This record gives sequence, C-alpha cells and structure tokens, in this order.
Amino acid sequence: MAKTILIVDDSESIREVVSFTLENAGYNVIIAIDGTDALPHFDGKVIDLLLTDLHMPNMNGIELIREVRKIEAYGRIPILFLTTESQRDKKIEAKDAGATGWIIKPFVPAKLLAAINKVMR
Amino acid sequence: MINDDILQTTNSYLTFQLGDERFAVHVSKLLNILELIPITKVPKSPDYLKGVINLRGSVLGVMDIKMKFNFPITEYTKETCILVLEVLIGDDFTEVGAIVDSVHDVIEIDEKQILPPLSVGIKFKSDFITGVIKYKDKFIMVLDIDKMFNAEQTKIANDDTATEAITVK
Amino acid sequence: MDNFQKKFVEEATDLINNLEEAVLALEKDISNNELIGEVFRIMHSLKGGGGMFGFDDISNFTHNLETIYDEVRTGGLKITDDLMSITFSSVDHLRSLLDPDALKDPQINKNNEILLSSVEAILKGSGTEIPIAEAEEELDQDGDKQTIYIYFAPNESIMDNGTNPLYLIDELCTLGETKVFPRTAKVPLLSRFNYSKCYTAWEVFLVSSENINDIHDVFIFVEDDSELEITKVADFDVLANEGFNEKIQSLYSEKNHFDSAVITSLVNDLLEEKKSRMVNVNEKLKIFTKENVISSIRVSSDKIDHLMNLVSELVTTQASLSLYVEENQVYALNQLSENIENITRQLRDTAFSISLIPIESMLTRFHRLIRDLSSEFNKNIDFITEGAETELDKTLIQGLTDPLMHIIRNSVDHGIEPEQERIDAGKTPQGMIYFKAFYSGASVVIKIQDDGRGIDINKVRQKAIEKELILPDAKYTNKEILDLIFIPGFSTAKNITDISGRGVGMDVVKRKVDEIRGTVDLESKENIGTTITIKLPLTLSIIDGLLVVIGDTKYVMPLNLVDKIYAYEKEQFSNAFNNIIVVDGEQIPFYYLRKEFDIPGEPLDIEQLVLVKYEEKRIGLVVDSVVGEYQAVLKPLGKLYKNHEIISGATILGDGTIALVLDTNKIINEFSFKN
Repeated sequence: MAKTILIVDDSESIREVVSFTLENAGYNVIIAIDGTDALPHFDGKVIDLLLTDLHMPNMNGIELIREVRKIEAYGRIPILFLTTESQRDKKIEAKDAGATGWIIKPFVPAKLLAAINKVMR
Repeated sequence: MINDDILQTTNSYLTFQLGDERFAVHVSKLLNILELIPITKVPKSPDYLKGVINLRGSVLGVMDIKMKFNFPITEYTKETCILVLEVLIGDDFTEVGAIVDSVHDVIEIDEKQILPPLSVGIKFKSDFITGVIKYKDKFIMVLDIDKMFNAEQTKIANDDTATEAITVK
Repeated sequence: MDNFQKKFVEEATDLINNLEEAVLALEKDISNNELIGEVFRIMHSLKGGGGMFGFDDISNFTHNLETIYDEVRTGGLKITDDLMSITFSSVDHLRSLLDPDALKDPQINKNNEILLSSVEAILKGSGTEIPIAEAEEELDQDGDKQTIYIYFAPNESIMDNGTNPLYLIDELCTLGETKVFPRTAKVPLLSRFNYSKCYTAWEVFLVSSENINDIHDVFIFVEDDSELEITKVADFDVLANEGFNEKIQSLYSEKNHFDSAVITSLVNDLLEEKKSRMVNVNEKLKIFTKENVISSIRVSSDKIDHLMNLVSELVTTQASLSLYVEENQVYALNQLSENIENITRQLRDTAFSISLIPIESMLTRFHRLIRDLSSEFNKNIDFITEGAETELDKTLIQGLTDPLMHIIRNSVDHGIEPEQERIDAGKTPQGMIYFKAFYSGASVVIKIQDDGRGIDINKVRQKAIEKELILPDAKYTNKEILDLIFIPGFSTAKNITDISGRGVGMDVVKRKVDEIRGTVDLESKENIGTTITIKLPLTLSIIDGLLVVIGDTKYVMPLNLVDKIYAYEKEQFSNAFNNIIVVDGEQIPFYYLRKEFDIPGEPLDIEQLVLVKYEEKRIGLVVDSVVGEYQAVLKPLGKLYKNHEIISGATILGDGTIALVLDTNKIINEFSFKN
C-alpha cells in the first residue's frame, strides 16, 4: 500500500517539484501551504510522513511540528523538515519540537528520497 | 561468379542432368561449379554422402543426389560435376556440394510458367520439387534445394537407415 | 527553461514584489517584527528556491541577506539606514537576476559585486559569523575495502520522534558486508519494559569501500541523541577471515562491549598472520612471478578470433613448407623449416591459452549459490573445490555455468540431508559437496560429488514405469536406471522448487553438454552420495596429431592420446581371438579399423597397432601405416556431417588433400557397443 506524505511549504514551486518527485516515486501526496493549512489534515486520516518547511507565514514549521506531536495518533510518525545550512541551529529547536530529521536545501530529488528512506519504509 | 545484386530479382536457373531427367536450380543458390575431383570418404556415413573435398582451404561435404533420390547409379564421367550450393539448413546458410551428371544452360524461367508438381504424374518425392516447366519440349523440374537438404538433416539426426518411399521408373 | 523553472520565476516575481512592499512598510516602522519576519522569510524562500531550480545567482545573493534578517528578528542586529538602502537596491537587483544570463551584463555584474560586499560588510561589522557552506570532506576514495567498526547506542527515547533505529542498521547493511551484534544488556524485565523506548545498542563491523562520510551520514539525524563511534579498524576485509569471525563470536558472548583495544589487537594479529603467510607464498611464487603478477589487459574477442585464424593459416602454410622441403630435398632449408615449425607450435599454444579461462571464475558463483541455498534450505554444507586453475575455453565456460549450477542446486536441495537426518544416519552433521576439475588426456573432467542421500533407484524405476519408459518386469542394471534421469520430462522431485524450476532439468544438462561434444555420467549409491562427471574435449582447433593411413585415406589421431606404436604381421590380427592381442605381456583389446570403416581391398602385410589411452586403459587401433607427427588445423566437417560422432573434423594437408580427424574415445565407445 502506498504511503501518504503531507508536504507543507509556502513556496509553490517547491511544493510542485516535491510533490512531482514523491508521486513519481509512488507516494500519495497531500499539500498544504503553511502550518495553519496543514494542521487540520491531522484529523485521524493516515499520514505516514510529514515534510515541512520551517519558515512559513501564519504557523511556522516548528509550531506545526509541536502541534502535530500533541495529537496521539501522530505521536511517532516520522517528521522531516526542510532547512538551509545557515539554519543549523534551527535543527535543535526542531528536534526538540519532535522532528525526526531534516533535508538541507537546495536538494536534488534523489537526496529527498534518500532522507525519506532513512525514516520510513 | 554471380553478382549478388542481380541474384534476388533474376529469373535465371541453372539446368543440370540426373539420369534421364533434367532439373533446375535458382542461380542465387549456386556458388560454384567444379569438375569432379577426388572425394575423401568419411567412414560410417550413408552412401549418398560421398565425403568431403578441399574447397579453397575449407572442407566441403559432398552428396550424390542420384543416390539420394534412388536413381539408378551410373559411373561418373568427364561430364560429372559438383555444384557448390548455398543452402539454408536450420537457421544458417551452409555450403554443400552436390554431384550431378552434367550441367546445361542457364535459362530464364518466368514464375508464372511453373506448373505445380502434381500435375505431371510425378515420379519423385514432390516435397523437393517446387514445380515443373516445359522448356523447348523438355520437362524440367525446378528443385527446392533448401527443402532437400533440410530433410537431409533430420534424417541424419534420427538415424538414417530409412529409405524413401518413392517409385522410380 | 523547464516548467519548474518557469514556475519559480513566476513565484519569485511575486515574492520580490511582496518584498518591495514589505521593505517600504518596514522603512516606516523598523521595529515591526511581523514585517521583519516577512522580509526574512522572503529572503529564505528566494535562497532555497533559487538553489533548487538552478538560479544560483539568486541563491548566492540572498544568502547573506537571509542571515542578516535572521539576526535582526532575533535581536542580534539592528536595522540601520545603510541596511535599508542596501535592501532596497537588492530588491531591484533581484528582479534583474531573474534572467539566468543576467550576470553576463557587465553593469549588472558590477552591481552584484558591490551589493554583495556591502552586505558582507554589514555582517562582519555586526560581529556575526558568516556561515560558510560546509565543504564535503574528501576522504580517501580508494575502491578498496576497509573494515569499519560502528558502535551505536541510541538514547532511550529516540523513538519518540519517529526514528526507527533498525532502518539505520539496514542502511548500514546496504553499504557493504556487515556483521551486526546487538547489545541487549540494558533491556529491562518485562514488568518494567516500555515498548516505546529503545534499550538496545548495536555494534557493527562493516566491510565497505564507501567513503567514511557516507557512513557518518547514516546517523545524521540521530548523532546528537546517541552514543556513536565510527572508526576504521583495518584497510582490508577482516570479516573474510575465519579466525577473526570465530574470535569475535566468542568475545561477543563473553563481554558487554567490544573493546576497541581488543579489536585493534585482533586486527594486528591478523596482519601478522597475513604477513607471515605472504612471505611463505612469495617464496613459492618466485618461480611463477611473471605469470602471477596481476597485470592483465582486456582484449576484445574479435581480435582473439582473428588471431586464431591467422595462427591456423600459419600452421597450414608451414606444413606446406615442410612438405615442399622434404619432397624437393632442399637440405639448406631443412633446419629453417624445422625452426619455423617449432616457433609456430609455440605461437599456436600461446594463442590458444589466451582464450582459455581458469574455471575459478565460475567457482565464486558456486560458492555463493551454495551459501545462499544452504541458508534457504537450512542445510549445513561444506563446499570443497579442487583444480580451480584448470583452464577451459571461454565459450565452454559460458555453456557450462547453467548446467553446473543446476547440478549443484540438486545436490543442495535433494542430495544433502538436513543436519538431524544426517546425524540420525550416522553421518557427519555437515554435508559436503566436492568439486574437482582436472585434465585427462584430451579432455577436461569436471566432477561434482556429494555425500548426501544418493538417488533412490527404486523411485526412479517406479517413475520410469509410470511414464512408460520401461517395462515393469524388464531387467535393467542400476546404471541403466540412473541414466533414465537424463530423459526429458523426468523428475523425481515432487514439486519443482523455485530455483530448480527454471526449465533446467538433467535432460537439459545432458543436451548442453552434448552440444559442446562432452559426456555426462551419473553415479549414485543410496545413503553414500551422488557423483556427476562431465567430460569435455579440449576444443583446441589445432592439435598435435599422429598422421596415419587406412586404405586410401589419411587420418589424424590426437597425439596426446597415443601411447605406443607396434608393427605386426597382418595375420596376428586376423587370427586373434576375441580381438585381443598380447603386447609386452599385456592383453590389449584392439579394433581393426579397416573392417570397422568398411575399407575395401587387401590389407598390407605389415600393419600398425596404435595403442591409445582410453579412460584408464590402453586400447589398440589397427591402421595400415603411420606417417608421422602432424600439426592439424581442425576444420569442421560441415552440416552434412553434423552428428557424425567418430570423426571430429578434417584437416587439409600440405598437398591439399584432406585427412580426417578421429575421435578415438568415441570410436572405441561405438565399436565396443556393437560387440
């Protein structure tokens, strides 16, 4: 059964290229434009992995991760966040909020899939 | 030697003699005509396989077609020749030699003129004959040389003591 | 520009417009955090998106601006007029950078540089560290295998954030060969066991040629939350050593944790061992040094074929030369002609050895096959090989691989019994498959022997009766029953297992071996084991032969099978009883080839008895006369004689006549059956 990935990013082109890559790799993809848009999706439906940018308007990535982790059904799903290298210190914050791992921007599709493979099979 | 370009499109056939009958074979199958040279017999082989000869450094197997067709056997004469033919055996083309009594002219035969073999009260195994034509008052049988040698192959494989059921005049 | 890039340009245009609005507003209200946040986010998106879609200029340009505005929003930097004006100029500049060729314009390029240095100056001035892109550490990229020791002890709560440590171990295993040792010392009793916690640690030995960075990368998400040690312990594959494996196994049960000191000392021991072995081997190798130096080149097989053809022609031409010299008694040329013959012979041998490959190349596959099958079928099997250096023509090896794999599969699947069954039968728990390759006369022999159950002759007989291959009450020897296995469609396995069901049965094995003019033989004793012997003619197309005459025709026998030649009066043969003649006190069976070949005419008064080697015996073949040694270039007889067994080919003599090459083994086989 194909896994479902929720991708959250305020940049439309990033959303497009990521969902294109993931769908080609056989995943189901749900898209959200920022934290506020994303959170309602966590209503009990199956989401196998959350992939989120950190800096977004309305609700940013770290807040989203915290909120998602509060919901029991999603307490242990793998969560990956997107970051640029200059944000290394954000990693600690994100991990404290409950993230599993990160992907450094810019990334090529292969790296995206490899990181997902690290946390979800 | 025959130019390959002309081969496929031509209607030319070489005619040759076996006993009282005349046969024809398409020139595209003919590589060479040799006079009869000593043939090295290969022991423990059927008698119509006369043996092998040296053809420009390679070894060519030679068959006596008259024996194959169970014609009455006659002595070889000065006219006796070996036709070097290129036949399709299985999936490959192979060179083989066939002993004939003598060779005649190369003639043009229009496909339309070839009559089906059954119509002439045929005496021979019609599998190997594509048809018959009348040329200058003689009946000439057009030989399907590939079929003839392919049947040859299966016979050898299945232990070749079988004789063909053909009636010969 | 591809679709994604176009998309990005659209998006970036919007972002830059938003940026402009935000900066305008910010100018009027410099402490507005929301606005600052937005400027930061836009810089962040432009940097990230730029890098993603190939707009490196944009990415580079926004890099430091992003950092500055990050500092501003966290309070590390204050907005100055300077910063404001630079930011405004940046907005315009960014618009121009949307054209991928923008920096080719010298004016724009200049602007780029000015703005970049101004931004950098602000950063430097604030004392903020300018982050540099992390350079990928280049470690030695040797393709050689190293052994790396990894100790991974994740934090108990590592699974809380969705991490699954087993995925990481799996990932390690994809990097090379591994031996994984879980450490469960910290696992508490069931009463206190919390299934959402990770109590296990792992120690892994990894043999890989990967960069050590790639190994570190496996753990990037967890390295902050775990105890992690990654060290190279050896520059070679330590796991290939039985001794090491054994020691590590026993250490594992004794201790809680492999001491790196202990590991290092073990490795050092191995190195010492290796060194001393190398010294021994080098001593022995001194004789073979030139051959064993690992210098080889790849040669296209077309070139080899061409070389072979040329060598064949040379041999024929040289034969004509020798003949001419002999017939015309040109003594001066005699020595020269002999020299040429000699050199030609050596050239021929060398040319042929080029297309010969040692059987060793197949053996690795067999080892692997047995290992995989043993674990799949739960059998304990030792695979012993002998004669790996035996060489075979490349095409033979290709043709043989499948049949041999099938035979080995059969041994593992049906032959060797499971451990317990073996113990119950009084055998060693470990089964054995023995593979031996060697030369015998003009053939290569490959023997595969197992000490398993053997073949149940009765089962075979039953099956044959079922399939109506034999009559129920007919008498057959055990050997004849066993040979039935080679008939197509015969299989005593109840269901063709996955691997042996590939359409390869013993009948196919026989057919493939027949195709390369070989023979296959099967021997089996119940409970003792089964032996399959394959004999292949060495397909040398130039052989050293003995030229003989029978009747009008010349024949060539393979010289290496010829033992001795004796001359006898013809009556000795015609009067012989049961075709046996006494030679040097020994009774030798003989075949009178004039008769066997139906040669007409009277025999000579004196005939020659050629003693040839046949299996373990010597058999006599009677010919009219023996001409002498002859290097025969084998030519095939052609399709008309495709299935002709006793003549393996023909050769053209120096005078243009044809000599037929005899397969003495097949001759003896065939004629002995007739009797």
